[in-house]
Formats: sequence, C-alpha cells, structure tokens
Amino acid sequence: MNNTGENTIPLSLRLLLMVLLTVMAVGLAYAVLSLPAQAPGLSVYAVENINISGVSNPVTAVLLNYRAYDTFLELGVLLLALLGVWSLGCAGCQHQSSPGPVLDSLSRLLVPILIMVSGYLLWAGAHAPGGAFQAGSVLGAAGVLLLLAGWRIHAGLAGLPLRIALVLGVAVFALVGAVLILPGGQLLAFPPAYAGGLILLFETVATLSIAISLTALFLGADPDEEDAS
Amino acid sequence: MIEMHWVVIVILLPLTGAVVCFLWPRQTVVSGLITAVGLFASVLGLTWQVLEQGALRYAVGGWGAPLGIDLYVDGLSLLMLIVTAVVGLAISVYSSAYFRLDRAKHFWPLWLFLWAALNALFLSADIFNIYVTLELMGLAAVALVALSGGANALTAAMRYLLVSLLGSLFYLMGVALLYHSYGSVDIAILSQRVESSPAVWVAIGLMVAGLLLKTALFPLHFWLPPAHSSAPAPVSALLSALVVKASFYILLRLWLEVFPLTNTVPGQFALGQFGLAQILGLLGAAAVLWGGIQALRQTRLKLLVAYSTVLQIGYLFLAFPLASIIGWKAALYLLLAHAVAKTAMFMAAGNILFYGGHDRIADLDRVAQRLPLTLSAFGLAGISLMGLPPSGGFIAKWLLLEAAIRSGQWWWGLMLIVGGLLTGAYVFKVIGYAFTRSDLPHEPGFVPKRMEWVALVMALLAIVLGLFAPLPLALLEIGSPFGESLR
Repeated sequence: MNNTGENTIPLSLRLLLMVLLTVMAVGLAYAVLSLPAQAPGLSVYAVENINISGVSNPVTAVLLNYRAYDTFLELGVLLLALLGVWSLGCAGCQHQSSPGPVLDSLSRLLVPILIMVSGYLLWAGAHAPGGAFQAGSVLGAAGVLLLLAGWRIHAGLAGLPLRIALVLGVAVFALVGAVLILPGGQLLAFPPAYAGGLILLFETVATLSIAISLTALFLGADPDEEDAS
Repeated sequence: MIEMHWVVIVILLPLTGAVVCFLWPRQTVVSGLITAVGLFASVLGLTWQVLEQGALRYAVGGWGAPLGIDLYVDGLSLLMLIVTAVVGLAISVYSSAYFRLDRAKHFWPLWLFLWAALNALFLSADIFNIYVTLELMGLAAVALVALSGGANALTAAMRYLLVSLLGSLFYLMGVALLYHSYGSVDIAILSQRVESSPAVWVAIGLMVAGLLLKTALFPLHFWLPPAHSSAPAPVSALLSALVVKASFYILLRLWLEVFPLTNTVPGQFALGQFGLAQILGLLGAAAVLWGGIQALRQTRLKLLVAYSTVLQIGYLFLAFPLASIIGWKAALYLLLAHAVAKTAMFMAAGNILFYGGHDRIADLDRVAQRLPLTLSAFGLAGISLMGLPPSGGFIAKWLLLEAAIRSGQWWWGLMLIVGGLLTGAYVFKVIGYAFTRSDLPHEPGFVPKRMEWVALVMALLAIVLGLFAPLPLALLEIGSPFGESLR
C-alpha cells in the first residue's frame, strides 16, 4: 500500500474508526480497573496438588500435568504452522549465503553453549522457571545460527528422519496419553509415582520437536522437496 | 467391562491420521481415507454411548475442573460432531479424486488436523482450551485456502489469517477477563459464578465481536467470499459447512451457559441480553438481504455460492431474538441442513470448474447434458437452501417460523421468506445458464465419477433430512443444552 492508497479512505470513515477504537480502549481500561485486585485464581489448587504432580514448579505442573492436554494441542499448533509453511511450496527460499569469518567462528563458539543452556533449561523446568518451550527456543536459536552459517541438513536425513523428529512431541504425547487409558485411567492421567519421569520424557521430546520446527520454519521450505526441485 | 473412550478417540484418531499422512506422503490418500472411515465409525460409537448413558463429562488427566480440563458431550456437541463426521467423510471421498499427489500430500495432514481441531472444539468444556482449538482450526483453514496457489488465493488466505487471529485475540481477551474475575475457565463453573459487572460486560462484548468476525456475520463477512471462493472446491465446502459453524457453536454455548447472569439485579442483565439479541437478529436479517443480493449479482459460480453462505449464516442469528428452545433447535437444524446442502453445492461447483476450466456463470455451456449428476446435485442442494419441502431446509425454516410466531415476533419470519425468494432467484439463474448454449464453446475436461456421485449423495441427503427430522431433534434434547422446557 502506498501513500495514495492511504488517502482513498474517506475522512468520515477514519473518524468513525478513531471513535470506535477510543470507545473500545476506554471500555477496556474501565473493565481492567474495575477488576478485583485479589484475583481468585487457581494457584491455591495448583500448589495443593503439587506433591502428586511429579514436579515442584507450579508452572510446569500446570503445563505438563494439570493442563497437559492444552500443551499437547499447542504442540499440534506448532506442527501445523510448519505444515502450512511447507504447503506453500518454495518460492525464492534457496538462499545460500556464505558466512563471513565472524559469523563462522561465532557460531562455532555459540552453538555448543546454546545446546548446553537448552539442556539446563529443560532440566531446571522441574523445579524452577524453564521447561520445554524455553529449552526448545534456545535450541532452535542454535539451529537458526547454524543455518545462517551455511549448514544444511544431510540429504539422507531430510526425508522421513526429519519428519519423525518434527512429529515426535505430538506423537509421544498421543501415544503415552492413550496408553495410560488402558489400565483404566483417563487420557493423559499420570500415575503420581511415574509423573516425574513421564513429564521429563514429554519435556525432552517436546524440546526436540520445538527446536527442529523453529529451525525448519526459518528455512521456510521442506528440505527434501528443495533437493528434488 | 471396558469402557470405550470414544470421546478421546474422536480427537486422537484424526491427529494420529494427520501424523501418519505427514510421515508417509506417498500413502497419504490411503491413510487419510482409512482415518476418515474410522473417525465416522468412532462418532457413531460415541453417539451410541451418549444415547445409552446421556450427557458425558470426561476429565482429561483425571484432575477435573477447575484445575484440569473437562470434555463434555451433550446433544448440542453431539449434533455438531455428527455433522462434521458426515460432511468430513464426504469431503474425504471427494478429495481422494480431486487432488493430484503433489497437492494431496499437503491437503491430507492439514485436513485431518482441521478435523481433530473441530472435534476437540465441540467437545471442550473449557473456554481456554476452546481458544487453543480455535487457533488449531484457524491455522489449518488458512493453510488449506492457500493450497490452490496463485495470487488471489494467497491474498485471500493472508486476509483470512489476519481476521482469524484478530477474532481469536478478542476471544482470548474475554477469557482473560472472565478468568481474572471468577478464577475458572470451565464453562459449567463459570455459569454458576458469573454476575453482572463491567468486566463481564466487556468480556461478553469482546468474545461476541471476535466470534462474529470468525462466523462472518454481516457486516463482518468481508473476508469470507474471497477466501471461500478461491480455495480448492473440497476446502470451500468444508469452510462453509464446518469452520464458520464452529465459531457459531462457541457463541451459542457461551450465550446459553455463561452469558445469562442469574444472580443479578432482576431485569438489569435480562434487558442487556435482550438488546444484544435484537442486535444479532438485525445483523442476521441484514446478512440475509445483503448475501442474497450480492449472490444474485455475481458472475462467478463459486463467489455466488460463497455469498449464499453469508445469507445462510444470517438465518442462524434470527434465532437469538426469539430465545426459545424451538428457535434454537430450528437454528441448529438449519445449520445441519445448510452444512450438507452447501457441501453438495460447492462440490458441484468444483465439478463444473474441473470440467470447463472456469466458473463463469454466463458460459456454463450445456453442463446439463455433460454433467447431469452434478447439475442435479446443484439443483437439489438449491431446493434445500431455498427451503422447499420436503428438504431439511424446509423443516428448519418451518420451525423457525413457528418460533417467530409463538414469540409474537412474526417480522423475523418475514426474513425467511425474503431469503428463500433470493435463494430461488440465484439458483435458477445458474440452472438457466447451464441449459443454454454459450458463444464460447470450450474443451471439456474429465470429471472423475466419484466426485459427481459424492455431490449427488450429499444433495440427496439434504433433501432426505426433511423426512427424518425427529431423529436429530430428539438428539438435541440430550443433556438439555437449551435449558428446561419452560424457559
């Protein structure tokens, strides 16, 4: 849209928009100010059940146990975003950059550190802020850095192995969640004795899938298809 | 005895199917069709279970609300699941012939993800979880629109993405306000706690606005005709038949359960909800007029069918000012009839496009002789959309008319007649051109027989729905989602 296009919106309409937006902003502000200062949230319940949740960080307990179903679907959203990007095909995304000496040596230095930080965040999630999404983002950043430095996935791994890594989070959630039904439980109901281990398993596979999805999103197209074309 | 977890199966099966289709792209059509058939059977299993046991509540993770997430099936969600299963199976069969492998390998994972999102949405009893399913559904729908490629489709998909995200964000803001005020995101708990307060009113306003945008009620329908008409035919069908209905379903759920504020100053909220209902009814009436007139003015077949969706969505909102059980039932029957008929109509339009390579209405050169099954499907679907007996559309309109007269607001019934006349006009316009010879003879393409038959079967189903009306209507009673009969 250029400048002339902007001017085609009549003044009356723009005024109307301004009035509507102002009314909305005032309404929102009034509503937020009228809220009780002490919210009756669910943190009490979350802390009450923390002993049987398998972790000691309430946020992780909410994400990976109480509301693990939401997290499961969120992993689906991430996979779906990648499917959507891949379905658009590859138009001008084969940018092969040659990294300068700074990027080259910096990535050699940073990538091992990022992998280590990611591993720490993953482990720390059980008792402190951290967990799969944070660890996955950091690991994904390492992947992006590698791509910038000119690294590409090995052709033999670009097909099924890459796809398996991408779906790992969703697939393990679905599989384990469903298997837990068999002894008479509910979907994604973790027996307290195994909850800690199961959560660590989910966090690990989710970290891998998130990191690889983010890296693949940065690449923009299916590397397998890129080779074929 | 092992209790079958059908509730979970109808969510996990399509997700698993999507993953399998993604992992092995060469076998994607076979895996997709197997999943579709299995899913149809699972929904039948769930229906049987609910008929035996009544409304079901399922605590995911075993925690239960308010800490965990509950799934809930009553007559209303069951009807939506069944509509999705029927339309979904038809679309799966149609798509197996429609897409070549290079498109099919993208279509099937996306479509099965969309199916999973729809089922999860209809089953959820948790307004935050519904937000997650909305995002899942929106992303899949956008990617499917873009699947046909080309500048038009990409522009429409981009606009659809922005609209869809804006709608979800409005909804999410409402969720945040409700959670902060009442400390729960479970629909059943909220319905007991919600009272009239500024925060609740703003939440209602935000959520209604966001959902109306996603449902494409006039005047927020601007994104629908380009998105629905530039998508591949099976995608247009599932967007019009299912995706816009999903946000309508959420709106209806909230309207029935969360928004009626019970323990409040008598009359205060009732008046507010009455006013909002009148506004929704007026917008619905405007949608009927605008959608009908625009449909008549279109020169492209798929755009005409897309505007017809705008019109039909308008009907659904006429039930809000009536606020009676029979009115809600009528709206849902209309939703069912429209989903089936519109699927048939978009499939017929897709066949014509496949055959002639274009969908200019004026150049529909003797489609009647070449594609008799397709044209019959188009005509029969048109009969249901017009609301002529004995079609499903007729029963729905009859019920809606009855509700309008019973509540003493006959003028809403008038809109049904106006809408029916407009629908008749644009359906006959198409059929008229299909019989006449055009100046531009064209090279006909080959239309797989499967695509013609699926369209015809769906159109026949839309007609037959009128004969089996008591069945779905009785189904809707389970768990009395519309409240007790004296309301």
